[in-house]
Amino acid sequence: MKLLDIFLLSLSHVKKSRMRSWLTIVGVIIGVASVVAIISIGQGMQENVQQRLGGFGADIITVIPGYFRATGVHSEMHTDRSVSTSSSINLSDRDYRVIKQVPGVLYVNGLVSGKADLKYDNEKTVVSVTGVDTSVWRLMDTTGLDEGRYLQAGDSNSIVVGYNLAHGTFLQPITLNRPITIGGKNFRVVGILKQSGGFGGGSDTGIYMPSEIARDVITEKVSNNQFTSIVIKASDATLVEYLKADIEQKLMSSRQVNPRTKDFTVIASALIREQMSSVTQTLSFFLSAIAAVSLLVGAIGIANTMFMSVMERTKQIGLLKAMGAGEHEIMKLFLIESGIFGLVGGIIGVIFGATISLLIPYLGIQALGFGGDMRATITTGTIFFALGFSVVIGILSGIIPARHAARMRPVDALRYDQ
Amino acid sequence: MNIIELENVWKIYSMGEVEVHALKGLSLKVKPGEFLAIMGPSGSGKSTAMNMIGCLDIPTKGRMLHEGQDIAALNEKELVKIRGKKIGFVFQSHNLYPTLNAIENVQLPMRIHEFGEAEIWDKSEELLGLVGLSGRARHYPSQMSGGQSQRVAIARALSTNPLLLLADEPTGNLDTEAGKEVLDIFSQLNSRGVTVVMITHDEKTAARANRIVRMIDGTIAS
Ligand SMILES: Nc1ncnc2c1ncn2[C@@H]1O[C@H](COP(=O)(O)OP(=O)(O)OP(=O)(O)O)[C@@H](O)[C@H]1O
Ligand SMILES: [Mg+2]
Repeated sequence: MKLLDIFLLSLSHVKKSRMRSWLTIVGVIIGVASVVAIISIGQGMQENVQQRLGGFGADIITVIPGYFRATGVHSEMHTDRSVSTSSSINLSDRDYRVIKQVPGVLYVNGLVSGKADLKYDNEKTVVSVTGVDTSVWRLMDTTGLDEGRYLQAGDSNSIVVGYNLAHGTFLQPITLNRPITIGGKNFRVVGILKQSGGFGGGSDTGIYMPSEIARDVITEKVSNNQFTSIVIKASDATLVEYLKADIEQKLMSSRQVNPRTKDFTVIASALIREQMSSVTQTLSFFLSAIAAVSLLVGAIGIANTMFMSVMERTKQIGLLKAMGAGEHEIMKLFLIESGIFGLVGGIIGVIFGATISLLIPYLGIQALGFGGDMRATITTGTIFFALGFSVVIGILSGIIPARHAARMRPVDALRYDQ
Repeated sequence: MNIIELENVWKIYSMGEVEVHALKGLSLKVKPGEFLAIMGPSGSGKSTAMNMIGCLDIPTKGRMLHEGQDIAALNEKELVKIRGKKIGFVFQSHNLYPTLNAIENVQLPMRIHEFGEAEIWDKSEELLGLVGLSGRARHYPSQMSGGQSQRVAIARALSTNPLLLLADEPTGNLDTEAGKEVLDIFSQLNSRGVTVVMITHDEKTAARANRIVRMIDGTIAS
């Protein structure tokens, strides 16, 4: 029998028992839709984390004052704010020098961060100011310049502005060479950074100036030989984990603290990113497993329907055999039928799943609670995987019933239900 | 050569401890071009014998020859071929494929045997005409009467030009008028050279055949 004719015969069955066919297909739809949605959400989450943490660079290590006894991702996430305000201890010149001597450290930048009043074009606001070491900042910045130049030695009234502060904060966007008053002092904009998209605002809403100047303009008191944080660039990204431990060790001995009285924290964002990735990966793996279970239920639904139709059609199988249909043809007849369930369920399921994924950002669900909306990424890979998978599942769940049908002896089949 | 030859055929069903002897040493010859009626009480083994003749079943003991070929020696593939190409079946009831309409039912055996599309359509239309159902081509089995269904089944049985037509109580569910129409078709086919073997309970129906064989308790009553 030609494949097309077997297909049409299968189709006649699907159409004849429409209600049951649809109910079977609905089972597949639910499974496939949840698989697609969950994979897409998982991928979106992954990208979200990568992008938000990506701005820090894989080879950057940051030292901040204060210590979190709790370990793990969450506590390390809220760095600057909680620490520098809650503790009056700052890092010192000496720490700077100690760090600089650690092998594997390429550049060290002592930062002086704080809040300052800003006046621009008759508008007033409070901004976060970061004072940097102009000689190394340009070498360590991972955000990149959108316009203008970095700060350089000798700059005293020059500032570089974050992208969002320049473009989205004031009625009149900040452009190069604009005069701005910060902490009562007049500055000129020499550069605007690219958008980093980093979490917590990052460099996007900040202002950068030489650290000596920053000490004067910020409202917090930071004395001349002190820093609010120290940023380190490793000579090689693969050294970061080792370097982090080494810096920790050396700082502890120079500050004469032990692990219990430790008063600083060393953060390697690459390590955080890895941790976050593995968290989201595990999460999407578990979610996928749940989705796979619903797909399995769909498959059982197909198998059940197929068994029922084999039973119901025993007499017809006998007829087909009496007319000269072989085992292969009967087998194909049922496999095509269950394949149709898988395919149709797969197509509709993908459409549903994609729709759900596309709607996710509008639901405003927060991704893992660190800012930014949840979003889903649908790839053609996901779609073809889901389609292929559902067809395969359809056919697989039809195999046992189909074989059962094909092996029926014609006499027994014909005798059935007479 | 005989088209069918049953030599001392036994069919034994073992149902746990009990054994049912459906056929007990049945011997029967069917010549080409014959119109044979098989009669006998219920349970005498008529349907079992017909399944044997139609190569749907294999004897427990004894030999069943189709055109001189012992069917026990054939594999499933070869049996499928004989059933499809040489034999046409008309069963007592539930003959038609319920999800296909009348003309699709007639076409089904031809599709199974991969006839050409043109031949499939010509032949199916011709055969529906022969059984007087040209006007019902698009009707589904559920939309037809028992007699109409039976005639569609006959048209279908003839579609692959079988040499042997087997009918198990083809008129059992029909009234006299519809039964007569079916028998007329059989006579007509037989006069064209098709060998017909028909099972029936009814003496009048059997009288339309050239020869009557009576079965009792799994064998021929002498
Ligand atoms: N698959 C089977 N398993 C067990 N016993 C069977 C089977 N098929 C037939 N029989 C038995 O074999 C005997 C002959 O059955 P068969 O169907 O050939 O009778 P029949 O002459 O066609 O009767 P009827 O006129 O009622 O159709 C019966 O006793 C029946 O119970
Ligand atoms: Mg019978």
